Amino acid sequence: MSLDLPQVLPQVNALAEEAARRLENLEQLLRHANDGLSQAGQLERSAILERIARAGEHWPGAIPTLEPLEAAFECPPLPPEFNVVAADGSQVYPDRHSLSLFYLINTGSICVRAGRGTPPETVSRPQVVYEEEDLYGQFDGLIPSAMIDGQRDVAEMAELARLGAASKGKPTLAILDNGLLLWVAHQAGISLSPQVGKLLASYLEHLGELKSADVAVAGFIDRPRNDNVLSLIHLASATQGAGSEESGRRHPWRGLTDRALFSGRLRPFQRSARFQHASPVNQRFRDAGHAVEFFYLCLAQGHIVRVEIPAWVGERPELLGFVHAGLVDQCSTPEGFPYALVRAHELAVVTMEDRQALEDMLAGALLDRGLSASHSRKSQTKQWTGARRRHRL
Amino acid sequence: MTQQPPLIGRVTRSSTRGFVGAIRAPEPDIPVFGSFCKADAQQGRSSVIGLIYDISVEDDGFTRQIATSPSAKPEEIADAQFNRHVPVEFSAVAVGYLAEDGYRYALPPQPPLSMATIQSMLPGEVRDFTRRTEWFSLVLGAPEIPADELLVAAIRFAAQARPQSERPPFLREAGGRCARLLGRDLVRLETVLGSLSG
Repeated sequence: MSLDLPQVLPQVNALAEEAARRLENLEQLLRHANDGLSQAGQLERSAILERIARAGEHWPGAIPTLEPLEAAFECPPLPPEFNVVAADGSQVYPDRHSLSLFYLINTGSICVRAGRGTPPETVSRPQVVYEEEDLYGQFDGLIPSAMIDGQRDVAEMAELARLGAASKGKPTLAILDNGLLLWVAHQAGISLSPQVGKLLASYLEHLGELKSADVAVAGFIDRPRNDNVLSLIHLASATQGAGSEESGRRHPWRGLTDRALFSGRLRPFQRSARFQHASPVNQRFRDAGHAVEFFYLCLAQGHIVRVEIPAWVGERPELLGFVHAGLVDQCSTPEGFPYALVRAHELAVVTMEDRQALEDMLAGALLDRGLSASHSRKSQTKQWTGARRRHRL
Repeated sequence: MTQQPPLIGRVTRSSTRGFVGAIRAPEPDIPVFGSFCKADAQQGRSSVIGLIYDISVEDDGFTRQIATSPSAKPEEIADAQFNRHVPVEFSAVAVGYLAEDGYRYALPPQPPLSMATIQSMLPGEVRDFTRRTEWFSLVLGAPEIPADELLVAAIRFAAQARPQSERPPFLREAGGRCARLLGRDLVRLETVLGSLSG
């Protein structure tokens, strides 16, 4: 172990003290934010939308839907028979110190046929990418990690679309372990590169396939740090005044989250009102007929998660209720996180042992063809010093 | 095409008296108590023959969550039993080894090293190894293992590896060998013979 723990200890203690001080401060801020939400709840929706329009396209808040801002909805019943599908992905980035340049995307998925008692169907799909065109493409140098993440996200959505099509005719809940806005496009903001645009188009196409199959799609975000509803409260608060673009952009409750706000407002299994993302990339989703909405869901006292859904799910009560009840049901075992997502992750994850086995396989294949199979000197020295030997026998 | 013996795991620790292997396997592929296996030793110049006497199914945090949850659904339990690859650790006692000139019924000169492959023995290999019965004494003399139950299970496996017509004479010979080895311990002998004939 190279971390000098005695040196770290006083810093860790200071960190804990700071966390306790911050919590005290946040409780005060939370009272203000709660009052703000009550006040915003009294405003006409049109007045709020007018303020949002004035705040400009970079405003990072939540756009109200037709549901009252302060509403809390009870969990509806589940359909008697249904399927739950989930997909997750992992990746190995290209490493110039490795034996050869390549990257890997591994997608894991599961289809649970609820109520049948049969083992779920599980799939793991590895894809090794090594063509020069894919490794370099139009980029300056190697493909950026964010693009590989984007390809992984598209692969996850494609897998959900495949499972959704196979489940057609039976109520099906499709879950992703994250938000629904394609992250690489979300980060790119208003101007997308052609490569990101292509990924986004493919992602939206798969979302369209899920819509055609009537699948209730949901992105599940545990311990969310978002503050979109706080931004909305700030913008709509009476004291904030006319809401100029600059003053409305950021709320004054730094460190506070929507999760904290709703943890005092929702009882177990209740959901909040739906809101729409004000992110610029959501306009592209909206144009394609898949505007992304979200709500907060209480899974146990104080355990709030964020759920993202396409507007076509939010606007259909049977699909919305199915997402709500389906997620509550999925989170009963293990407590607080969907079973199907735990398994999809397990099927997708590339462990250090997997990676070592992949490298061994690659070394064998290269040597068979008379090619050199060696790591860079830097990588070799890290291997020498990184693993401590133990003599057990 | 020659049938390859199925891989059942890799050695994690070993001594000349036996070895321990581990594998992540779905339920149908978990090794069986009393079955014959072999592990390479001496850089492939010999194979240590083992009898599996202990099998333990390891758990993880997720398995414990499902097992203790009052609301675990039948699909989730079926998933754990048939899909999730459970970590299994099994121990084998050495009962001989295959040298360049054939089977030897004694402890091996060297144990298999860690990560050596462990394979189930094919019926033909089991027949060849059990043509002689000197390995019985290594089982009965091994400390801290369920020796009598293991010997009975292994004799049954060896009988199953033979054609129907060869089973009665093999079992008679095995019983005779047990009688010679346990002649001074009639209680154990009665237990072994009773289990064999049961």
